[in-house]
Amino acid sequence: MWTLLKIDFKKYFYSRAFWVMLAVYFALLVMFFFGVEKIVNEALKSSSKSSPVTIPAFSIYAFPYVWHNLAFLGGFLKIFLVLIVLYFVTHEFSDKTIRLNIMNGMSRTQFIFSKLLFVLLLSLFSALVLLVSGFVLGMLHTEELTISMITQKAEFIPAYFLEVFTFGMLGMFLGFLIRKPILSIGALAIYYYIAEPIMAAVLPDKISPYLPVEAMGNLIDVPNTALMQMFGVQFRGNVSLQDAFICFVYSVIFTLLIFLIYRNKDL
Amino acid sequence: MEQAILEIRHLSKSYGPIKALNDFSLEVFPGDVLGILGPNGSGKTTTLGILMDILKPDSGEFLWFGQKENKHLARKRIGALLEQPVFYPYLSAVRNLQIVADIKGAGYDTIGEALEMVGLSERKNSKFNTYSLGMKQRLAVAATLLGNPEVLILDEPTNGLDPKSIALIRNLIKEVASRGTTVLLASHLLDEVQKTCTHVAVLNKGKLLHTGRVDEVLNATLRVEVRAEDMDALCVAAGEMKFVADCKREADMVVLYLSGETDAAEINKFFVSKGIYLSHLALKKKSLESYFLDLLTE
Repeated sequence: MWTLLKIDFKKYFYSRAFWVMLAVYFALLVMFFFGVEKIVNEALKSSSKSSPVTIPAFSIYAFPYVWHNLAFLGGFLKIFLVLIVLYFVTHEFSDKTIRLNIMNGMSRTQFIFSKLLFVLLLSLFSALVLLVSGFVLGMLHTEELTISMITQKAEFIPAYFLEVFTFGMLGMFLGFLIRKPILSIGALAIYYYIAEPIMAAVLPDKISPYLPVEAMGNLIDVPNTALMQMFGVQFRGNVSLQDAFICFVYSVIFTLLIFLIYRNKDL
Repeated sequence: MEQAILEIRHLSKSYGPIKALNDFSLEVFPGDVLGILGPNGSGKTTTLGILMDILKPDSGEFLWFGQKENKHLARKRIGALLEQPVFYPYLSAVRNLQIVADIKGAGYDTIGEALEMVGLSERKNSKFNTYSLGMKQRLAVAATLLGNPEVLILDEPTNGLDPKSIALIRNLIKEVASRGTTVLLASHLLDEVQKTCTHVAVLNKGKLLHTGRVDEVLNATLRVEVRAEDMDALCVAAGEMKFVADCKREADMVVLYLSGETDAAEINKFFVSKGIYLSHLALKKKSLESYFLDLLTE
């Protein structure tokens, strides 16, 4: 495994495309995390003017809710992270560099595993950004801080990691399946924005939560805000193990499918 | 018997309706410099692609170093250049070779020497996508030399090179071969095979037409011109002769193609025993080229 990491390190570390894409993703994520309260409060202010009841000012960054809020928001940006996965997986095919790896003595299994490690590390990076941002914002916006408040809802960090990782695996699967950079990005976008929402609408409510993107979305439900509580809407404030399990199973299925496809395929 | 470095057993592969390889079997022994000769589209690249696990055969199998399992470990002991040079375009030559060395589990100490051998030392820190076609090809040859491989696989290594580079690569192959490295060289250039190889396998339309030592292949095909008064009787008699692979009537003489060891005295004796006295008898060794061309027109 260390050898695979050492090899992959060279592929990414010296690639300008990698750093540019990672920096853009990082900047988007941090800007989103740190800027979102202002946007929400502005929106609330303007709506409260016309509203007969006054909406209490609140901080979405307060511990322990900050984990849930940021994890939920970060989920919207996961598509940018998957672009990095797609870029590097499909370029191994379009540049034919997968041949360089295989003919010099990497097994096909090792090659697929190295890409899985790549998705894993990117997801860890994203979860780390969440952890640090959440911690900093929570410290700044929480009055009467106790340790238990920080750790209370921290389960949303691994849940966020799983959401991003599973989505990354979907991207990796499409990359290995389609092999062409632009086509695979198009396929992912069509599936994510069009195909699955339609399927989710058409399929009975019992089945649709088991669709991959739905399942990833269910992992972290919409956070409860003061506003929503006022209207009596109550969302799930914790992570269900069942959703986590569904996501994990999807990651395994995507991996197995790639192995199955590449057992007997020309490169 | 000596252990074959490579055993190919009944490999077949089709691309749709086209049979790229048709029941291809071959053995390669340590120290052989085998030329795989055939026109474009004869299955050379397909064969080498299968041997390096880039392509999967429809049927048949192959063994590297007598091993069926863990073929990726065998590939670490092989330096290969397939079809066109592939490297990471945004990485420098040195970094690309470092990746190759990492995959092979070899040290970086041979990288400098390999670049020196193909004359790329000065441009070693340039990105691969700034290289000309010839430089890319030479870098690919350098990559095959990393980690002192036991086998070298080269698919048309002189493709797209200038004459100076061609001479450089050919000398390099000879040098590597002289150290006892087994070489598989695919080429459609007869001259190249004749100059560098000890053995030859001739492929056409995915079928193995002939295999053997280069000098044996040369000896095995003897062109004999004979003339006599009664040309019809001569033709009939020639058909009965041993070793005659083919017999053609050309203008004022009959041309025999022999596939075995024989000499002029024996041929003469044979015709005398049939009551035919030759007025002309000439033995001509064929060049590999005309042999090759004959094979292709069959």
